Amino acid sequence: MAMEKNYGNPSLEAKLKDRYYYSDDTNRDFTKEVEKIGRTIAHMCYQCGTCTGSCPSAPRSSYRIRLFMRRAVLGLEDEALTDPDLWLCTTCYSCTDRCPRDIAPTDVIMAMRNLAARRDIVPRNFLKTVQAIYTTGHGVPNNDVNRAARVKLGLEAEPPTTHGFPEYIEGIKAIIDHYGLKDRADKILSEGE
Amino acid sequence: MHEYAFFLGCIAPNRYPGCEAASIKTSEKVGIKLLPLEGASCCPAPGAFGSIDLNIWYAMAARNVVLAEQMDRDIALICNGCYKSIYEVNHILKHNDELRDGVNEVLKEIDMEYKGSIDVWHLAELYYDPKICGVDKIRESVTRPLSDTKIAVHYGCHLMKPRKERHFGDTDHPMWIEELVAALGAEPVQYRNKMQCCGAGGGVRGFDLEHSLDITNEKMINLQEVGADALTEVCPFCQLQYDRGQIEIEEKFGIKYGLPVLHYNELLGLAQGMSPDELALDLHAVDVTPFLEKIL
Repeated sequence: MAMEKNYGNPSLEAKLKDRYYYSDDTNRDFTKEVEKIGRTIAHMCYQCGTCTGSCPSAPRSSYRIRLFMRRAVLGLEDEALTDPDLWLCTTCYSCTDRCPRDIAPTDVIMAMRNLAARRDIVPRNFLKTVQAIYTTGHGVPNNDVNRAARVKLGLEAEPPTTHGFPEYIEGIKAIIDHYGLKDRADKILSEGE
Repeated sequence: MHEYAFFLGCIAPNRYPGCEAASIKTSEKVGIKLLPLEGASCCPAPGAFGSIDLNIWYAMAARNVVLAEQMDRDIALICNGCYKSIYEVNHILKHNDELRDGVNEVLKEIDMEYKGSIDVWHLAELYYDPKICGVDKIRESVTRPLSDTKIAVHYGCHLMKPRKERHFGDTDHPMWIEELVAALGAEPVQYRNKMQCCGAGGGVRGFDLEHSLDITNEKMINLQEVGADALTEVCPFCQLQYDRGQIEIEEKFGIKYGLPVLHYNELLGLAQGMSPDELALDLHAVDVTPFLEKIL
């Protein structure tokens, strides 16, 4: 006969069965949403700290990836999304390669950034890249010095990308507009000025 | 001749055109033909774009993949950031029906469909792959060996990490780019914390320049320690961070390193006898002359 784990105390058992941490500022859906967007098993984190130990940003800032992992597990949504340290991850994936629980902490950060962006919390440089891609197709567009250098090298002044074939930019605009990102970027950037 | 659709990205064609010119010419000498991928855009930048909305990132990268699918050629590229976007999105969409359907719904608006019919490669891995090119073929193509030079390698993050979603194996002490460097007649040197990030990724360079430069500075200290004559990488964004970053480090921290930074394809071009003018090395922020004097 199989033995069932049993403490002989129904109220204690009910309490232990509930895995969630309760406090006024937790949102249990946050964990699920982070896991869905990041495509990773954030709730498996046991806080060993290998991620922070691997992190090139940790020694020079207050950014602690382990802290963000804890916030992901506990559902501390506001705390995670409003912390400016969220944007100090260089996405080098060292933590992901070393995580003994096979979690991708980097993708947890990416998911949190996506969720922060839904609240219009995005650094300006990210939005400016969006604007540049929307108008030229390139995040780092061509310039006159470069055009001259290209011609000297025997290349076309404009590379055979959206620069050389601007008719393709319409397609890029359609994709970005599908998500309404350009309008949001313009709005957020103008509000900050 | 192996033919590939050459995905340029942004920084190579628009900041270091010598990289683009070198890639086309050097690869041809080892049996790889790079065809222009007309109408390609930014990959888009995985840090900036992916951070805002991964779904747009999938769709935008898929559009670039579809352009190559229409040519019926695999993609070859020369930038780790582009590799992250193009390789990884191609990989994800091939294996995730839900995301692929979502992407195709958006692409339908511009009369495109992602099919998942091609693969994506970094030019450096094609150079290393004996089925395509191989180290020996690289060695045979060298006409001006880079003898008596010590060259350090920066692998960059997004080429090989995360290991699970790549096929390179060891990401702690890889040596395959060193083999490619040794094939040019140079001596590859090891340095502390070789696999550390250059500091530019994830939008951090734009968000907090000093923070990002501080990471670069740590790398520079480790590189200085071993007396490297030049640093080579396979990512124009890392190149930008090391090259222009050294000037910014001098302005902000008052430390001058003067370490020439060259993309592997520029190095290969030099070893195959291309002149510095053919590689537009004058566009580099850090003067490359001390390195050139050693080899010319």
